[in-house]
Amino acid sequence: MTIPVIEAKNIVKSFGGVRAVDDVSVSVMPGEIHAVVGENGAGKSTLMRILAGVETPDSGSVEINGTAIENSAKASIDAGISLVHQELSLIPEMTVAENIMLGSFPTAGGWTKTRDMKKIAADTLKEIGVEVDLDERISRLSVALRQFVEIARAVARKPKVLILDEPTATLTPAETDYLLDMLERLASQGLAIIYISHRIPEVFKICKKVTILRDGKLVTSESIDKLTPEKVIDQMVGRELKLDLSQRRQINDSGDVVLSAKGIKAPGVNGIDLEVKTGQIIGLGGLVGAGRTELIRAIIGADMKTAGKVTITSNGKKQVITGYLSAIRAGVAYVPEERRTDGLALGMTVAENIFLPNRKEVSPTGVMPKSKIAAFAKELSEKVNLRPPQITREAGQYSGGNQQKIVIAKWLGRKPAFVVLDEPTRGVDVGAKAEIHKLVKQLAEEGAAVLVISSDLPELLELSEIIHVVRDGQIAGTLKGSDATEKSVMSLAAGEKLVGA
Amino acid sequence: MAKETLTEAIAVAKAPEDTVTKKSSSFVAWIADKGIFVFTAILILASMTFVDGFASLQNVTDLFHRAAPIGIVALGMTFVVITGNYLDLSVVAQAAAAGVILIAVSNAYNLITAFIVAFIVAIIFGLVNGIAVGYFKANAVIVTLSTTYIGLGLLRLLSGGSQVFGPFDGPIATFGTSKLGPFPYSAVVLVVVTLILTFVLSKTNFGFMVRSFGVNERSTRLAGTNTGVIVIGAFLVTSMAAMIGGFVLAAFSNTAVSNMATGYDFQALAAIIVGGTSVFGGKGSVPRTLLGVVFVSILSNVLVLSQISYGWQQIAIGSLIVFAVTVDALGRRVGKK
Repeated sequence: MTIPVIEAKNIVKSFGGVRAVDDVSVSVMPGEIHAVVGENGAGKSTLMRILAGVETPDSGSVEINGTAIENSAKASIDAGISLVHQELSLIPEMTVAENIMLGSFPTAGGWTKTRDMKKIAADTLKEIGVEVDLDERISRLSVALRQFVEIARAVARKPKVLILDEPTATLTPAETDYLLDMLERLASQGLAIIYISHRIPEVFKICKKVTILRDGKLVTSESIDKLTPEKVIDQMVGRELKLDLSQRRQINDSGDVVLSAKGIKAPGVNGIDLEVKTGQIIGLGGLVGAGRTELIRAIIGADMKTAGKVTITSNGKKQVITGYLSAIRAGVAYVPEERRTDGLALGMTVAENIFLPNRKEVSPTGVMPKSKIAAFAKELSEKVNLRPPQITREAGQYSGGNQQKIVIAKWLGRKPAFVVLDEPTRGVDVGAKAEIHKLVKQLAEEGAAVLVISSDLPELLELSEIIHVVRDGQIAGTLKGSDATEKSVMSLAAGEKLVGA
Repeated sequence: MAKETLTEAIAVAKAPEDTVTKKSSSFVAWIADKGIFVFTAILILASMTFVDGFASLQNVTDLFHRAAPIGIVALGMTFVVITGNYLDLSVVAQAAAAGVILIAVSNAYNLITAFIVAFIVAIIFGLVNGIAVGYFKANAVIVTLSTTYIGLGLLRLLSGGSQVFGPFDGPIATFGTSKLGPFPYSAVVLVVVTLILTFVLSKTNFGFMVRSFGVNERSTRLAGTNTGVIVIGAFLVTSMAAMIGGFVLAAFSNTAVSNMATGYDFQALAAIIVGGTSVFGGKGSVPRTLLGVVFVSILSNVLVLSQISYGWQQIAIGSLIVFAVTVDALGRRVGKK
C-alpha cells in the first residue's frame, strides 16, 4: 500500500484556553480529493492553517511522504503544500502573470525574467484549463476568474498537496461545476487535494473521503461510499436532535408591523423581503458568508443598499429609513457581530459606552452631568446583570459575555422599537449566554420587534419563533413550529433539498 | 467592511472568559503615559541647577510669554489629534492670517471689524478642513497642507506680501507689552484658553464625542453619531485657537506678516506628542499639551541660555519627537497584547 502524501498526526491547537483543534489526525493519499467539513467554528480553517505552516500547533506533527516537516510557512511550501485561502490574496493592481508568480519570480542577477515568468504562468493556466489574458490586471477580472488565478498560483508551485478553503463560496453553479471538473482532472494526475466546503452536494460529487470535525474534534474520517448527505449533516451537528418543543416560543402574529423591508438588494444580498412585528423574535439562519450580516446592515442603513425600501413604525409613526442615523432615530438598536471593534469602545469606561447613544437624553444641555450619567449607567448595567457592576472600569477589561451585556445595556436606554442582534452570544460563556437569551426574550415581551442572526443552531431555535434561512443572498426557506429543527436549518443552509417540504 | 478570517473569528470567539482582566502594563506603556511628568520635573530641576539665569522670575515669565502663541495653537490642535486625524498643518496660514487681519483691518477700520473678519476667516478654514476630512474622508495631512498653500497665497495677494505695522500706542501694542501682576497678558490668555478647552474636551457632550471618535470611530458611528460633525467641530476648535494664537503673536511686536507663523505646525505637534497625546487618537488631554508646551519651551530656553546654536535646537526637538512618537507606538502595541 502506498503511504499518504500528507499526514497530520494528533494536532492540538488552543486559543486562550479553548481547543480549536483537539487531537485531530488526517491523512490524504496521492490523487485523492479529501473533504473536510464541519459547522462554522469546527476548526477546519485552523487545521488547514497548521498544515500550511501559517499557524503553530501546540502539539502534533505534519508529515509529507512519511517525513515530518518543520512548522513554518516556508517549510510547508518547500515540502509541496499549497493553500488557497478563503479570502482572496491576489494583488488587484498587478497583472495575472505577476500574481501567479508572486513570491517565486524567476530572476537573473536581481532582474525579473519577464519572459520566463509569463511562460510559466501561461503553462499553469493551460494546465488548469483557464483562459485569461496574462497582462490583464486582477482588478478587472470577475470574482470567479480571480478564484481560478488564485488556484493557478497554487498550482504553479508544483505542489504535492493542494488545500482549498471554501473555493466555491462566491461562484455561480456553472463556475462551480467548472472548478469541480478542474479539481478532478488535477487529482487524476496524482495531486492530493484537501477540499473544505459547507456545500454537501459538492462534497459528494468529487470527494473520495470525508473528514468531519465538530467543536475542534475529529468525528470521523471515512470513505464517501459509507456515508450519505443525511449522515454527514447529522454528524456535523452532532447534538441530540430531539428538541423540547414546549421550550419553543409560540408564534406571535398579533403585533403591529414594525420593520418592513421590501426587495432589499446590496452586495451579497439578492432581493429579500422581511417583516418583523412587535413582540416577535425572527431568526436568520445560514452559513457564514450567506449574506445575513450584509442583509441586516443594508436594512438599517449601516451599509448602502442598491435597491429596496425599508420602513420602521414606532409609536404609530411610520418612517422611511434612508441611512443609519435615520434608522437610529426611528428606534433601531444594532448589536453588531464584532463587539470588540463595532459594538464597544473598549478603551472607554462602561459608563462612557452606555452614555454614548443616550447622550441627548441624559445630557440635554451639552454639559455632561457626571452624577446623572453615573446613575443612568448604573441602573442599566444592573438591569443587564453586569458583573461586577463597576461602571468606571474600561469595557475592554470585561469578559466577552459581560461586554455583550454592556452593548445591550447601552441600547436599552433608548427603549428601541426594533432590535437587531448579530451573533449575540458568539464567544460567550454558558452562564452569560443564558442571561443574554433572557434579555432578548424580555425585549420582545416588552413589545420590541427583534431580529436575531445566529450560527448557533440551538440558540436560533430557542430564541426565534420564525426562522428564515439565508443562502447566497436569498431566503432559501422559512421554517416555523415543528418544521424548524437543527437538521432542517442546516439542510437549507447547505443547499440540500428540504425533506418533506 | 473588513472580513476577518475564520481562524481569527475563533480566536476572538474562544478567548478566555475570566470575569475581569487586569490592565496590562509595561515600562514602555508607562513611559508613554506618565513619562512627560517625570521628564518635565527632571528638566526643570536640572535647568535650575546647571543653567545660569534659568530660575529667575524674569526668565520664567519671559518663557511663558514667548510660548503663548504656539502654546495656544497646540492646545486647539489637540482636538484634531485626539480624533485620530494626525494634525492641522494649516495653522501656519491661519495664525498668520489672523495676525495680518488684526493689524491691517484695525488700521483701515477698527478693532471690532478686525475681530469679526478674522473670526469669519477662521470659521471658513475650519469648515473647509473639517468637511474635506470629516465628510469626504480625505487625508488630513494632504488637505491641510493644501489649505495652508491656499491660505498663504491669498494672504500674500491681499497684503502684498509686506509686513503690516500697528500704531505704536494702539490697543494691540498695549496688549502686547502689558502685564497682570508679574504675568504678561499673553501668558494669561494661554492659561484661560487651557481652562476653556479642558472644560470643552472633558466635560461637554462634544468633547466626549471627540474622545469617543478617537478611541473607536466604528463603534461611535454605530451608536448613532454623525461622525462628520465631530471632525468638523475638532477642526473648528483648532481654527479658533490658531486665530487667538495669531492675535497674540501679532501683539508681541505690533506687526504681522504672512510668514510669521512658519514652523507652528510642527512645533504644535511636538508639544502635543511630547505631552503624551497619542497620534493614534483617543488618548490625550488639553493639560497634557500645556505640559508639552512647557517642556519644549524650557528645552529651547535652556539651549538658548547655554548659547547653543539654533541648528542644535532643531536637532534636539526633532529627536525628541522621534522618541515620543516611537514610545507612543510601542506603548500602544504593548498595551494591546
